[in-house]
Amino acid sequence: MDNLDAARLQMAFTLIFHIIFACVGMVMPFFMIVAHKKWLNTKDPIYLTLTKSWQRGVAIFFVTGAVSGTALSFELGLLWPEFMKHAGPIIGMPFSLEGAAFFIEAIALGFYLYGWNKLPEKFHWFTGVIIGVSGVASGILVVAANGWMNAPSGFDYIDGKFTNIDPIKAFLNDAWFTQALHMTLAAFTAVGFAVAGIHAYQIYRKKQIELHKKAFKIAITFAAVAAILQPISGDLSAKDIAERQPVKLAAMEAHFETEKGAPLFIGGIVDEENQEVSYKIEIPKALSFLAFGDFDAEVKGLNEFPKEDHPNIAIVHYAFQVMVGIGTLLMFAGILFFVSLKKKKWWELNKFWLAFTILAPLGFIALEAGWIVTEVGRQPWIIHNIMRTKDAVTPMPGMIFSFYTYVVLYTILTIAVTWLMRRQIQFLNASKI
Amino acid sequence: MLYVVLFFLLFSLLLYVILAGADFGAGIVELFSSKESRIITKGTVYRVMGPIWEANHIWIIIVIVILWIAFPDFYNVLTVYLHIPLTLVLMGITLRGVAFVFRHYDAYKGRLHKLYDWMFRISSLVTPIFIGLTFGAMVSGKLIITNDYAAYSFYDVFIAPWFNIFSLLVGFFFMALCAFLSAILLIGEAKKEDINIYLKKSIVATVLVILSGFFTLTYGYLNDIIFVTDFIENRYSNYLILLSGILIYPLLRSIKKGHKVTSRGLAGAQVILILTAALIAHFPHIIITSTSEIGLLDNVASEKVINSLGIALIIGGSLILPGLFHLFKSFKIIKVLDL
Repeated sequence: MDNLDAARLQMAFTLIFHIIFACVGMVMPFFMIVAHKKWLNTKDPIYLTLTKSWQRGVAIFFVTGAVSGTALSFELGLLWPEFMKHAGPIIGMPFSLEGAAFFIEAIALGFYLYGWNKLPEKFHWFTGVIIGVSGVASGILVVAANGWMNAPSGFDYIDGKFTNIDPIKAFLNDAWFTQALHMTLAAFTAVGFAVAGIHAYQIYRKKQIELHKKAFKIAITFAAVAAILQPISGDLSAKDIAERQPVKLAAMEAHFETEKGAPLFIGGIVDEENQEVSYKIEIPKALSFLAFGDFDAEVKGLNEFPKEDHPNIAIVHYAFQVMVGIGTLLMFAGILFFVSLKKKKWWELNKFWLAFTILAPLGFIALEAGWIVTEVGRQPWIIHNIMRTKDAVTPMPGMIFSFYTYVVLYTILTIAVTWLMRRQIQFLNASKI
Repeated sequence: MLYVVLFFLLFSLLLYVILAGADFGAGIVELFSSKESRIITKGTVYRVMGPIWEANHIWIIIVIVILWIAFPDFYNVLTVYLHIPLTLVLMGITLRGVAFVFRHYDAYKGRLHKLYDWMFRISSLVTPIFIGLTFGAMVSGKLIITNDYAAYSFYDVFIAPWFNIFSLLVGFFFMALCAFLSAILLIGEAKKEDINIYLKKSIVATVLVILSGFFTLTYGYLNDIIFVTDFIENRYSNYLILLSGILIYPLLRSIKKGHKVTSRGLAGAQVILILTAALIAHFPHIIITSTSEIGLLDNVASEKVINSLGIALIIGGSLILPGLFHLFKSFKIIKVLDL
């Protein structure tokens, strides 16, 4: 494997893990403060137990998110020094603000975790709110920096030199809003369904039913709202990409020829050599409509662009299908939940809980697939149409060994965190409330 | 605005060294304790560090972000040529952070705690050594900055600059500084009957700092390392080191009298003096390679970038610092008059 592939693999690998840790650390505080508020309002001890249990989850994931994030802040430079040398000053604005938001989150977490019975009740609860708000703010800021890689702006690029840099313009690039919105909703959906699923499984197993039902309801409410809103945000993103990154859109849809009234392909197997997609479901004119709001609009195909500017079409297409498929499923699951509030009988059915248990990992799979679409879809560019990934990689040979080291480290980390979470749930189930 | 940025860079770096240093040191003190006092130390460390340790480690992210935004060429040299030691630092930070959380947040207490404890102690020991190693490599004069990688071996470009006795000595020196900071910090938090444990540790750590510092300088001088000869000949560096040495006396007095805030302040001041002395020794050049010298200010980002970074730092700082101060105060890491 060459150095570039090894570096890309390492980046992908560390990001895939960091995204999970970071999302949990960003969303779970919201569940925690809702449970905490309910404890303050009702003084029902179940809510207190739940709050304290979720708080341990927040602490564990915050730290794993923080250390894997620290690692990433170094890795950007270690793996892509040429990129950071030029992009660092341009996209520094969101990163420095993210640093600040993250710092505030850490301070608030310190207050929250160690503040029980020491701080005034309301202030203590409020520090929890700050954890959540600054967590989401960090997420949005980091995604804004990623948005710049897709929609570079705020500089002039003349003869291979970046001049006339405007950090604010770079921060508020064309992609920041659609990406940040899509990611924030995705985070709430993924974490919400995962947490709700874990509690649903405990109800399915008939453990601490009362507590787990309360926990389920809090988590799934956030998740269901986000999942129902997500298609709207997805539509905004698609229209944006159609305009800014037509190659990416064409790859998402495995769309080879430019045509008016382009059909939408669902599923299918991509044959890049013969430029065919077999076994697909074809919806006439739908792609033109989704991308441009007009059934007869022209959608550019991959053949419109030189081959060396194509991403890996199969990966992008499959990842996109997975994301949209799961997203749609979760939207229906969200609706199902709201219906179940009217049909209380469902809550007694074991099938209901089994269904939500099965849904638990899907949100994260869709989230990762979405990032694969946006990151692999941007290739071969690290900065869209400006700098190629191969020109940014570190000159140090032997990156494959670095990759292996990270694989070992993060695998241990994941096993440990999963195992620790299991112990938390066992502990919760065994405790008397 | 460049000065604002420089101020925040220096401020964050010093705070990282002092706060995270004390935090690393806690693991080192624990490592070199007898079995019984290890348990006592673990409890004390948790009480003191628990609420603040996360925040302590974020300073390094601020340092990195400022470097890459404002001083991209300087940062580029670090990331390309010191890739391996920086990766080792990262591994250490990761394992340590995780171990700290696991040993305090595992729902069940069991045999596995031994594993977390050892993971915590060992990574607390090696991480500051790697950080020191990286600093050492920056000034070792062994870095080869080149575009023609084929002309040199992998070892010469990517390993030799940090894998040498001088860099290793700097690593040990930094580790000793961390242990020193932590021992002083723990004295103030220990229960009366345990104070002697940390008193002894802080004396050992002080001796270690002096010895490892002495060896580093001697070795550097004998081997003609430019940084060291400059350091020894720089009047201001010498004054600062002398002052830091003199402060040992009031430090001992304040410890005896049980003034924990004063003793912490003094220990912190000593470390800051030592670091500043090192920083100005070869000013304004911070990286000394085999053929050239690289200063932080050699290639600064454009004015607009510096201005916006400065503003972001001022806004961020005005939110963070009061919060942090309040956090430290609330958990009695520092004592201030209750108003």
